[in-house]
Amino acid sequence: MPFQEGYLSEFVGRDAVLASDASHRSVGKVVDFFVAKPDDAFPKIDGLLVKTQGGERFAPVRDVLDIDARGAIVLRAAPTEPAPADDVSLYLIKDLFDKQIVDVDGRKVVRINDLEVANTGGTLRVVAADIGVAGLLRRLGLNKFAPQLLERVPRTLIAWDNVAPISDANPSQVNLSVSSARLARLHPSELADIIGELSSQDAARVVGSLDDETAADAFEHLDADTQQAIIADLGEDRAADIIEEMDSDDAADLLGELDEDQRAALLAKIEDRDYADELEELVEYAPDTAGGLMTTDFVWIYPHRTTAATIAKLREIAPESEFIYYLYVADDSRKLLGVISLRTLLLALPTAFIHKLMDADIVSVAPDTSAEDVASTIARYDLLAVPVLDDERRMLGIVTVDDAIDAIIPEKIAHSLPRLVRHHARRPPVAK
Amino acid sequence: MQSETGPAGVVTEPTPARASRRARLRRIMIFLAATLGPGFITASAGNDVGGIFTYSVAGAQFGYKAIWPLIPIAVALIVVQEMAARMGAVTGKGLAALIREEFGVRIALATMLGLFFMNTFTTSAEFAGIASASEIYHISRYIAVPLSLLLVFFAVLRVSGKLIERTFVVLSLVYVTYIISGALAHPDWAEVARGSFIPTIDTHDPAYLGTIVALIGTTISPYMQFYLQSAIVEKGTRPSGLLALRIDVTNGSILAIIVAAFMIIANAATIFVYNQAHAAHPITVTQASDVAIALAPLAGKFASSLFAFGILNAGLFTAAVLPLSTSYLVCEAFGFEAALDRSFREAPVFFTLFAAGLLLGAALVLIPGAPLLQLSIASQVVQGLLLPAELVLMLIIINRARVMGTFRNTYSANVICWATVVIVGLIALYYTYTQIVAAL
Repeated sequence: MPFQEGYLSEFVGRDAVLASDASHRSVGKVVDFFVAKPDDAFPKIDGLLVKTQGGERFAPVRDVLDIDARGAIVLRAAPTEPAPADDVSLYLIKDLFDKQIVDVDGRKVVRINDLEVANTGGTLRVVAADIGVAGLLRRLGLNKFAPQLLERVPRTLIAWDNVAPISDANPSQVNLSVSSARLARLHPSELADIIGELSSQDAARVVGSLDDETAADAFEHLDADTQQAIIADLGEDRAADIIEEMDSDDAADLLGELDEDQRAALLAKIEDRDYADELEELVEYAPDTAGGLMTTDFVWIYPHRTTAATIAKLREIAPESEFIYYLYVADDSRKLLGVISLRTLLLALPTAFIHKLMDADIVSVAPDTSAEDVASTIARYDLLAVPVLDDERRMLGIVTVDDAIDAIIPEKIAHSLPRLVRHHARRPPVAK
Repeated sequence: MQSETGPAGVVTEPTPARASRRARLRRIMIFLAATLGPGFITASAGNDVGGIFTYSVAGAQFGYKAIWPLIPIAVALIVVQEMAARMGAVTGKGLAALIREEFGVRIALATMLGLFFMNTFTTSAEFAGIASASEIYHISRYIAVPLSLLLVFFAVLRVSGKLIERTFVVLSLVYVTYIISGALAHPDWAEVARGSFIPTIDTHDPAYLGTIVALIGTTISPYMQFYLQSAIVEKGTRPSGLLALRIDVTNGSILAIIVAAFMIIANAATIFVYNQAHAAHPITVTQASDVAIALAPLAGKFASSLFAFGILNAGLFTAAVLPLSTSYLVCEAFGFEAALDRSFREAPVFFTLFAAGLLLGAALVLIPGAPLLQLSIASQVVQGLLLPAELVLMLIIINRARVMGTFRNTYSANVICWATVVIVGLIALYYTYTQIVAAL
């Protein structure tokens, strides 16, 4: 390996010459670099693509001996192997140069201007993406005209293990699994911001590469238009899997925006039939009412159990449940009798009965209570959630404090950008 | 819901079909969005100050025979706009991003420099319109231009872009007055028909060629392709929506051409016809307010006010949109942060380019004695000169199977577009040659 580190743009276009030829006549030009396993944190470069008179030929990296005085790359042997197929491997120049990637650390969508490579113990690896002005200037040839000037331009590099490529055109080119693992490190709302910045085609591809749970978390933070565009691309099976993982209130909001045929088709694909029925009911409520905001994901318990028995039961059922800070006490007719907080439950004697401990003075809302009234009820009584009851005081669901806040905070003015530019803009959380 | 008795849904009576009401509301929204589609809005945006001035002067100077070029231009406009729309729907990427990804840094830089120069020049045409409108009311441009600069800054940073766009499109109905005024001026319709369908080339007037280039440049403005494609990407239109998109683009283009034709007719029927009859004391068109006469058959003594309103609307909207969209496009091509809700520190390039485009555009108009009308038309000539380069880039990309798959250009679209490139290119080269010869 003749060099320690450098940028790929400095090697592209160089002549390839043979060590056996003393006059160093060019046998072709270096046009690309080839990676067989793009999934590694810092992928190893396996070879060079040399454009010879006979077409594009592959030269393994171990054949690179030196760089001669004129800057040509000296090869041990003439490259004879044909270029590896496009869809099984990654070509660094063709597939990555000038393309968009997600900077997982900086949490934004950027473009690759150049790639930094380094010799790590004998193997040549991609170590960083250059996304800054220095990379642009190097591509424009400033390193040839004024290398001292280029040295003074600050570099913006992203370590390759923080880069999530968004492949285009030919999705099999770059294995997206590495991208999805890196993207899953982001907070769901940050991931949603990034998805909102992508074109809807890219967004669908990125969401498609995520696991259901990560995709569902991100989906909850996306606005309705983006959700719908992505669903149209993912296909019903995958979309139903993701919807199944979403909180019921967010899933119902999403379904409510679809037309009836599409909604029915998606609901039919949801495996948990009970959950599908719940969603179907939730969709009927207007989005700016308690019914539209509520989730059916709450825990209810029997009044005649002891705290010890209830806690044991809770251990069994609660891991599936998001909100367990309030437990709702009901009999078999589902009528709400009282509420008990997790705190009360934990601090009470193990032998105490629930119906003695519970607060029977229930603050509740009706399904058609407006979002503002729900929020002010929660605020007035300092609640974490408020139950939604029907006329017969049967429990329909709960509205949690975070959903109530989301519903009443107005969208930022800056959200509304000119039509031309909106899709680039970072989207603030969308009020529901 | 989790319960001790195992999974069991809570059964309630569904509330009266709220969901279907939402679905109906949605359908109405879709209908509205279709009538105010990106193609329609882009076409309206094409009637900017530079356009109004160019069509007006063409009609005033050359009469009805300035109409016929609009017909081949219309064909080219529809083909080119359809291409931009298709590229947006198929790739989901803006034109600037595609040029960067397909041609690399150097060509992207050259394109973006050209676009920035051209759009800044056109921005100055918009401020020229604002200045002309104010001077009709004897308000100094040194007051009107800085004031409108502040207004534009405020609007861009504080008002919803959709609201600005909708307001503009509604106010653009003012251009219908040209159709009415053109009809009320009782033009010789036989002459109009002859001027529309029989090509005549004026070889005597040296200004004729420049007028043709300006007509091409203002009708098929290079920035309109960028704008349309971005709008379609932002809307998330897919190849399945191409038919609706094609209808929208065709309607928008035809409407734009009809308005343009009537701007020419209204000016030809008033100023050109008058000058033919009164060769001794012709109306000389040297400043913008001179072409307001074209609206006199409709508005009488209010013609100037109507004209001022028209160019003020076009000027303010385009001045608000053009520097901003240029800045977005450059940042899209080079991967810089770009969003109005970022701080200057987060998106320095974006805000610098936006402010530079706006301020430079306004500054050009404030040079003492800057001829507003001529400056506006010159900006459209520059657009016409640079159009072939943009079309070549579009043609190469749209014929790449890797990018467009089965949605590559058809044979006929390629023929029409390449013909446009060659014809406009030859005219542009010849025009440049005559300008250089004249300067020497």
